[in-house]
Amino acid sequence: MALEIMHLSTSLIQKQAVMEIEKCNEFSAQFGLTLSHAQAIELVETRAQALRGNGRIEFGGGVIQRIIREFCHSPYISSYNYEETLQELVEMFYYYKNETLDLLSDDELIQFMRTPFNGVCQGSLELLAGRELYNLASNLRFGYAPNYWEDPAEDEEEDEDEEDNADEQNHGGY
Amino acid sequence: MSKTMAAIEKHQISIPDDLSSEAYFMTLLQEGYAQGLLTASSVEQIQLQCLEFLAYKCRKYNRGESSSLRVETAESLMKSNVYTMGLYLKSLGDSGKAISELTTARIPEIYQKGRELITDKLAAAQAVYEQIQRNSLSTLNYTYNATISGEGLGQFFPTYQPDYEAHEVTASIDYQLCNPVDHLTGVEFIHRYLENLALENEFCGRFSAKAIHFLLCGYDSGYKDLLINIFEQVLTSALACSLVKRRVLSLSISEEEVEVLSKELIQADLPALTLKISKAAELVQEELNIAGGALGQYVVQSLPNIVVNVSQALKLNTLAKVFVSPLDPDAKPQIAFAAGVKMDDKEYRKLIDELLICRYPADKLQFIREQVRSFADLEDLLTDAWLETEEVFQVLDLLGDVEIAALIKRHPYQENQQGVYLPAAEQTLRGYLQDYLEQLAADRVKGIFQLLNQLRDEEG
Repeated sequence: MALEIMHLSTSLIQKQAVMEIEKCNEFSAQFGLTLSHAQAIELVETRAQALRGNGRIEFGGGVIQRIIREFCHSPYISSYNYEETLQELVEMFYYYKNETLDLLSDDELIQFMRTPFNGVCQGSLELLAGRELYNLASNLRFGYAPNYWEDPAEDEEEDEDEEDNADEQNHGGY
Repeated sequence: MSKTMAAIEKHQISIPDDLSSEAYFMTLLQEGYAQGLLTASSVEQIQLQCLEFLAYKCRKYNRGESSSLRVETAESLMKSNVYTMGLYLKSLGDSGKAISELTTARIPEIYQKGRELITDKLAAAQAVYEQIQRNSLSTLNYTYNATISGEGLGQFFPTYQPDYEAHEVTASIDYQLCNPVDHLTGVEFIHRYLENLALENEFCGRFSAKAIHFLLCGYDSGYKDLLINIFEQVLTSALACSLVKRRVLSLSISEEEVEVLSKELIQADLPALTLKISKAAELVQEELNIAGGALGQYVVQSLPNIVVNVSQALKLNTLAKVFVSPLDPDAKPQIAFAAGVKMDDKEYRKLIDELLICRYPADKLQFIREQVRSFADLEDLLTDAWLETEEVFQVLDLLGDVEIAALIKRHPYQENQQGVYLPAAEQTLRGYLQDYLEQLAADRVKGIFQLLNQLRDEEG
């Protein structure tokens, strides 16, 4: 029953989502970024696939609007890569929504995506997904703070220091 | 769009009452559509309303923080909504009225009415549960006690979420009723289960706890660990008493009487047997003064199971397993075994040290004979002195059958096979005991196990 009802509603939900995305053009146009009707439909299609692929369901316009509002003033997004970046961000969002065990709200996750994208990742979606969000998800799963970062270089230095100390003690013993 | 009541009455839909509320709602839609009482557009309208309501519940579930949720969670929420609505529609008592309500009222209104019903049922179930706790049977049966405790059924009330998981049963229920509650879920299940359990308690409460204990001991001396229904055993025994014209409250029927009964009943075919047992049930109800009430109906409802059991037992010539003779476990001759006082720790350490350096088995044996004065020390020594298999066997040869039986009771080697974690020394000793018994004559082993059964459980 539940799934049957969900199929019935798909077209309605999609129409509503396309309209909401087109509305965002008014806001994003000030940064020279707009989406055509066809691009909006494609973006909604991407969202539907991402939801299906990640075993999730969404009612209403969803998070695309919020992603557009948070990312449209990024220095790493231009009209040339606007649509592709949005598509990747939408897919990434739903994937990490699952990976973070729904512990973060939509707004929190989008904030976590935006800050490194504009900062340390310098617009690289691969770094954002493969390093920053991966680290965030594993931190949440293991009960660390979201920003906790285990630097392998520091560990190596600590190991080396310990070895040096051990050597010194051994020499002292002789 | 909606049919008039007259049209609905013309095409009456029959939906079983014992259907779960969730299934009731779905069946109502399907049957209503199949019978032409609901048009395709009205079904679609109901589905769309359900969807809108689901979206609202999802927002509430996520507290507005997340616009999406896992499909499984959404499905569970949908089931919960459908269950709640089904509960109300079922309470109307007539599928015609339910369809009329579906087509006229809005889904959130139907849900709200169902939600109020859940609150009422929850309060009623809580009251029955408290009554059960007050009137619980005094029995050693673990599953019965665990199920009615706060960790069993008691878990349901604080953990049940009527807003999001109304269809779930969040309790650990191991005790099986004589008339199991099938098809129902959620608060409906708990309410019916508790009602049935209360009736079973009321019935068993008319007999003395001692009589029930003896009866269950007759069924199986280890009944405290069995997944049995106490009511069924008591009712069966009461029927047997009635059949042999004994006082029902005594729950006492001798093996000879069972034999006579077996000869009498074996001549009856199934309808005749059913009739005989039904008549016996009437006598039981009269004697216990429960005829006509809910308890009387419950007894009647339980009879088919018992008739099948009796009929099967007659075919297999095992009626004594169904009509059980009571057994007083304390009447059996028992052996109280005292392990004796242990020697001083210093002395014991000295003895072990000397045994460890002792070279010849004969010397060790001589040493043990002279120094060890109690069974408790000997038992410790078997694990501490690093004896070889043959040496252990020689020490065991010194013991009588009672001591061997006591050793087996304290170190039950059969449990080794159950993968229980044990220290290595304990495992070794159990292995030695097993090997030792295997090489003894069958008669002696039998004697040892008889003694083992008579050994009284140690206290503490």
